[in-house]
Amino acid sequence: MSKQIKFESYREMPIRPMTLDNMLWNETGSWRNVKPVYDNKVSPCILGCPAGENIQHYIQLVIDKKYKEAWETIIESNPMPAATGRVCSHPCMGKCTRGDYDEAVNINAIESALGDMGLDNPGWMRESEKAKKKKVAVIGSGPAGLSAAFYLARGGYSVTLYESEKALGGVLRWGIPEYRLPNCVLDRVIESILNSGPISVKAETVVGKDIKLKELEDSFDAVFIGVGLMESRKLGIPNEDCEGVESGLEYLKRVNSGDNLDSSKKTVVIGGGNTAMDVARSALRKGSDVTVVYRRTQAEMPAIASEIEEAEKEGVNFRFLAAPKEIVAEGGKLSKVIFQEMELGEPDESGRRRPVPLEGKTFTMEVGRLFTAIGEKADLDGFVPEIDTEWDLIKVSGEFGETNSKNIFAGGDIVTGAASVVEAVAAGRKAAEKIIRIFIGEADPPKQEETEFGIENINVDYFTKSNRTLKPRISVEEAKNGFEEIFRGFDEQLLQKEVDRCFSCGVCNYCDNCWVYCPDAAIVRKDDRYEIDYDYCKGCLVCVEECPRSALSIEEEGK
Amino acid sequence: MKKVVMGNHAVSYGVRASEVKVISAYPITPQTHVVELLSELVANGEIDAKFIKVESEHSAMAACVGASAAGSRAFTATSSQGLLLMTEMLHWAVGARLPIVLTNVNRAIGPPWSIWTDQNDSLSMRDVGWIQIYCESNQETQDAIPQAFKIAEEVNLPVMLVLDAFFLSHTYEIVDLLETEQVRDFLPPYNPEIKLDTNDPHSFGNLASPDYYMELRYMIEEAMNDARSVIKRVGKEFGEHFGRYYDMVVPYRCDDADVILVTSGTVASTTRAVIDEMRDEGIKIGALKIRVFRPFPFKEVSDILCSTKKVAVLDRNISFGNHGVFYQEVKSALYGKTDIPIIGYVLGLGGRDVTPKVIREIADKAIKDKNPEPYINWIGVKR
Amino acid sequence: MREARIPTEELMGSGHLACQGCGATIAMRFALKALGRETILVIPACCWAVIDGTFPHSAVDIPIFHTAFETAAVTASGVKAGLEMRGDFETTVVAWAGDGGTFDIGLQALSGTAERNDDIIYVCYDNEAYMNTGIQRSSSTPVGSWTTTTPVTNYKKRPKKNMVDIMAAHAIPYIATASVAYPEDLIRKFKKAKAIKGTKYIQVLAPCPTGWKLSPELSIWAARKAVTSKVYPMLEITENGNKLTVWKDFEPTSFKEYIKPQGRFRHLKENEIEEIAKGVESSWQRLLAREKMLASIPGLDT
Repeated sequence: MSKQIKFESYREMPIRPMTLDNMLWNETGSWRNVKPVYDNKVSPCILGCPAGENIQHYIQLVIDKKYKEAWETIIESNPMPAATGRVCSHPCMGKCTRGDYDEAVNINAIESALGDMGLDNPGWMRESEKAKKKKVAVIGSGPAGLSAAFYLARGGYSVTLYESEKALGGVLRWGIPEYRLPNCVLDRVIESILNSGPISVKAETVVGKDIKLKELEDSFDAVFIGVGLMESRKLGIPNEDCEGVESGLEYLKRVNSGDNLDSSKKTVVIGGGNTAMDVARSALRKGSDVTVVYRRTQAEMPAIASEIEEAEKEGVNFRFLAAPKEIVAEGGKLSKVIFQEMELGEPDESGRRRPVPLEGKTFTMEVGRLFTAIGEKADLDGFVPEIDTEWDLIKVSGEFGETNSKNIFAGGDIVTGAASVVEAVAAGRKAAEKIIRIFIGEADPPKQEETEFGIENINVDYFTKSNRTLKPRISVEEAKNGFEEIFRGFDEQLLQKEVDRCFSCGVCNYCDNCWVYCPDAAIVRKDDRYEIDYDYCKGCLVCVEECPRSALSIEEEGK
Repeated sequence: MKKVVMGNHAVSYGVRASEVKVISAYPITPQTHVVELLSELVANGEIDAKFIKVESEHSAMAACVGASAAGSRAFTATSSQGLLLMTEMLHWAVGARLPIVLTNVNRAIGPPWSIWTDQNDSLSMRDVGWIQIYCESNQETQDAIPQAFKIAEEVNLPVMLVLDAFFLSHTYEIVDLLETEQVRDFLPPYNPEIKLDTNDPHSFGNLASPDYYMELRYMIEEAMNDARSVIKRVGKEFGEHFGRYYDMVVPYRCDDADVILVTSGTVASTTRAVIDEMRDEGIKIGALKIRVFRPFPFKEVSDILCSTKKVAVLDRNISFGNHGVFYQEVKSALYGKTDIPIIGYVLGLGGRDVTPKVIREIADKAIKDKNPEPYINWIGVKR
Repeated sequence: MREARIPTEELMGSGHLACQGCGATIAMRFALKALGRETILVIPACCWAVIDGTFPHSAVDIPIFHTAFETAAVTASGVKAGLEMRGDFETTVVAWAGDGGTFDIGLQALSGTAERNDDIIYVCYDNEAYMNTGIQRSSSTPVGSWTTTTPVTNYKKRPKKNMVDIMAAHAIPYIATASVAYPEDLIRKFKKAKAIKGTKYIQVLAPCPTGWKLSPELSIWAARKAVTSKVYPMLEITENGNKLTVWKDFEPTSFKEYIKPQGRFRHLKENEIEEIAKGVESSWQRLLAREKMLASIPGLDT
């Protein structure tokens, strides 16, 4: 800031009427009655991600080609982006503001690409923190257990991971076919997690049978239960136990273990969720003629829409508004299934319309194999009665998975019922973080503020419409003939093309607009942010208006 | 080198000798030859200057203002309507304190159209802030140009040199032409400290509040006052270099004169002839030529005129409603110093010839006339 | 640190006297970023005569010569000549005038400079009326507009003068229009002009929130919509007037949307708006036709 020049005499003045200094003494900030302030919001994608991945941020880092930093940003919330990038139902994309403009950013594909880069660059994983004395038992090596183990170990706490099976991964290994998540990828994901800190594995150890929960509670400072849902729900109809009727989950497990099954029979899959799709498509690959029977319509199917689409493309048949009524067995073997036709009635508590039987309307199908995929349930044997349950699931009291037992936490499907991988990952992390906070005596962080953000907050003049960049894929023909992974990752070019579509909702991404357009040169461009020089800002609010992403807000002066 | 040249060309040669760097002008009768010869001298390299051939006199002065502000010596020439069109930029040159030199060939103002001489064009610029010097001969016209630049560049005010249309502009006389090399000692190249310079950025002429405008005007007035001694010194220095001395005023046989005729421009020459004739007749009469009109030579005028008994002021101009301009000026110079009669005569407007007979008539009349106020003596008007 | 979109050097500082959201100020900031420190400005009477600041202070860190209203172009010619005679052939001399000083009172001197092809950049920052004197109509004021001298009961009935065509008739080497909404484009054009010898004319649309009766934050918005609604085409004329390039790569928006937040058009009735919009479209079509026509003449643009 300069001082205003004041002449006491004409003798001090220049011979010509000319200026001797700048105008900085004139602090035009006093003209202002409202002021712009930088005020980053939380992007809707972040709010949409159950794991709370800082999606906006890592996408911006990718734009700057800071891939390691981008990967690290994901890892803060999710230790297995290579897996979730393949199998996540990506609710983030449902929240993506770009969806109301043209098409949501392909966040899932971006995450997948970064996840793969992380696997290819093991050196990106930072060392875990200095080893601590306290140790934690984690039961189950599915997404919840792996996640909990990762964040605990990363914090320097030694983890013992108990798994009933020989191989780790839980639902990721047994419940998801290889064409969606190849075992080789999963193996690397698990390896990266196990290598991230002090984790020891106790495989083929069933808690409750091989070791009691009480023993764990006594020998560890905390226990996390993330065993998932192990058992398929039964149809509850006659002859359900005859040969030829099998739980879809069991079938997937066998397929994933490499069992070479003869499936050259007419196959029916009962259910409309992701498991039903996985079962149907796996059976198809084994040579079956497959029909999925679902009691509602396609619109109500809980499976990921793209999975349904792929199944259709591959040749899976669908029969909607029908439910199995009776299994007809011949010589202890499945021969026919009688189906009850349904119609949609009033919406139920899930908001979907309830299927109601159409009185007297049935039909019969010749069926060689029947897979049930109507949901899974928990095996709570190892945990009751010590742990309180509710609705056949573990009851937790808070958002961090606290059970009735002081040092025992739980998360994932065992708490929520069948849910998504990313929700399990989130639960594992949240419980791990809570455990650490208890260990070090730290208070819980404040809850993230929810902000309303929509397309009306975007200055669409700064964007041109474009289609979502899709993952490259193998053809349907190629896909249905084997278990080769269908979707391939983005190369750098595709990745850059897609990240460029991100609006960076509500978050300054250093686009320069505010600084560029300021008529008063009152915005200072710093290394990684801008500062408003309120001594000179006249409050015209051009910066607020021209921010493409509402990263600035307006404050009334004097408030 | 002596050469017979017309007055307008004497101007051009004066410019050549002064190493002017930017010329910008627009043709107007009777100044046209100035521009034509300058074009030729620039084209053939005798003058190392840029000649911006503008679309109006207003632009001519604007171009000079720009060039001068950029630190180059700038010159223009005009006349009458052209000078009037320039008015705004004449003010600009003064306010910006730019040492531009302009030669104005005195021409009457229309309507009705007149291409012939009188002083109303230059004298209507009396309050603008330009130094004004009235020339009497082609030699003086040429010599005035390097002097004008020297004065202008010292006091940071522009200088207007004035010569009569046709009686001087188109009249051929022997002129001892100045050579550039000779003049360089007297007038070194212009290299101002303050100029438009990206290494020393200033904004020139931006908004001045009432706090400072008056001081800036006061500085112009001070410069104008300083110019008196500078003009005298420069006139003397010029004489030392070239043998021709110049001063603010030129008295002629005034020492014991009972009547003094005050003149300017070419009328001064005619007047001197009449003075000689009347002195031969034993009449004690003299003449005073006012060479520098602005700054007005109050001291010189009053020193000379206070010693006489009667003053007659010959005005080739008219300030409608208040006599001729020189008359007003002389009266104000003598105010409170003497109570002798001061009589004004208006003559020669629109190029009407001012012959020795006309001057003699005025002289005879002046000797007889009592204090003539409030009316004006219009000489030769067909009533 | 991401690379800045436009040069970071600030030759126009804070503390200047422009109104909130002033487009003319944004234009200056961009132009100086493009031209750099080796530049001298000549500014006639116009908003910028005031924005610069009060004696002895200037908000601009390069030399400025303030000159009389009608003389921007020729004073710049004089400055350029003066500099060259001092041996300075590098400094860019820029006449920086408003639309009044360009379309109206300064047209004669500008025509003179252009006809002589004096080596200056002439910039008209066009805010479409005499804003500095308090919003009086100029010959740049668009048809339909209110100003204090074209009251709503007798709004401006004649179209904006086509200054670009007038300049094109001078066969100068470079003519461009620009808008403060497109800084990279504006900067590119100024840099291009700087590299060309002769008279360059750049007309920059610079919204005046005060005079347009527009909320100041919409200054850039208006500068953008003027372009996308085809009201203010972005063009370049090169090859001494023989080549016309019109920017067409934008999502067109409606005339109605453009004028809606501008109080200066608020009095217009639906049918009047439609009529003016038609005129906008036909001017646009004429421009495109001319672009095509010039391109079709063999050897013209060489």
